[in-house]
Amino acid sequence: MADVKCAFIVQRPQYKGETSRLALTHALSYQTVEVLLDDGDTVTPSLCFVGEGVLGISKGQNAMAPYGINSSELHVKNCLLVDLDVYVCKEDLEKYGIPEDQLPDAADMEAEKTINVVPFAEIEKIMEEAKHVLFF
Amino acid sequence: MGVLTMGVFPGLVGSGSYDFAMKLAKAAADKGHVVNIWFSGNATVSVKAHQKHLKDYSTGEKYLVELLEKGVEICTCEACTISRGVQKTESIAKIQWNAMHWYLSKIHCADRVLQIGGE
Amino acid sequence: MKLGVLVSDYKICVETIDRMKSDNLGLVLVQNGVYHAVLKEGGKESSLLGKTPRLYVLSEDLQSRGLSAEQVDKRVKVIDYSGLVDVIFNDFDKVAWL
Repeated sequence: MADVKCAFIVQRPQYKGETSRLALTHALSYQTVEVLLDDGDTVTPSLCFVGEGVLGISKGQNAMAPYGINSSELHVKNCLLVDLDVYVCKEDLEKYGIPEDQLPDAADMEAEKTINVVPFAEIEKIMEEAKHVLFF
Repeated sequence: MGVLTMGVFPGLVGSGSYDFAMKLAKAAADKGHVVNIWFSGNATVSVKAHQKHLKDYSTGEKYLVELLEKGVEICTCEACTISRGVQKTESIAKIQWNAMHWYLSKIHCADRVLQIGGE
Repeated sequence: MKLGVLVSDYKICVETIDRMKSDNLGLVLVQNGVYHAVLKEGGKESSLLGKTPRLYVLSEDLQSRGLSAEQVDKRVKVIDYSGLVDVIFNDFDKVAWL
């Protein structure tokens, strides 16, 4: 029985490329990985947004209307709903002038988790504590 | 010997990262390591059989067939693949089709994970 | 944590690496990242070469770009794919791709 902690580091902005969205959907799949593992084994991703990765997670997105695709905001909210730890780099929010209250929560879905805005040093600590580090 | 799990997301044509992933996988398998490859994003198109190797473009099929023969497990994200119009019946034989949790399960058993992001 | 970062771009990765702690960090220069090992932009070497003493460059990616091992900064060890596998398993606890 073992839990494998992974740090998913999202450093690319959303929408132009697919990679940052795939980080979110792959993280969400931690809910069902147990069907392929032995009893008690788990994989726990922590989702960390750094650099330009902080650009595409603000509230009020509507990618469905113009492009027919789910928004990154929805995926972030789903991550909170399934109790993933989501971190956003404080310095990078400041760098790009994004106020913390612009970040989404999933209170309307009755999620208990909220986004953690943390210094980059905290995200480095998450990388240190993880068995594997995956950049997206 | 260890277990190397690779997530490969870049497209077969248009990115040298795909070629890099294949060569690294082969080198690791040749040394006796267990290698798992997960395709997601544009890399999933590379599971389609009957690729023609034109010299101005990378090819995936010859690498994939060789890796499969060496016992490398290769799996493509079903959703990513069918969204690009590639059906299971067109796939290179012995490539697995599954959901994203396949990748996480292979991360669980890995000594090293190399996530090669795409576009 | 002995993190080995595979650097696959010339410019794009630098900002990310600059902010990472040097302790136990290693850099493996692959694809367009190999230019860090050979270029002196405006006469100045890449800042990455001073980031850590654990520096590697992939010979196949030098060769494909018409670069030779002789051009590589002396601090950087030239390895091939087989050597890269050993570095991944033996020199680091975890690896990441930028």
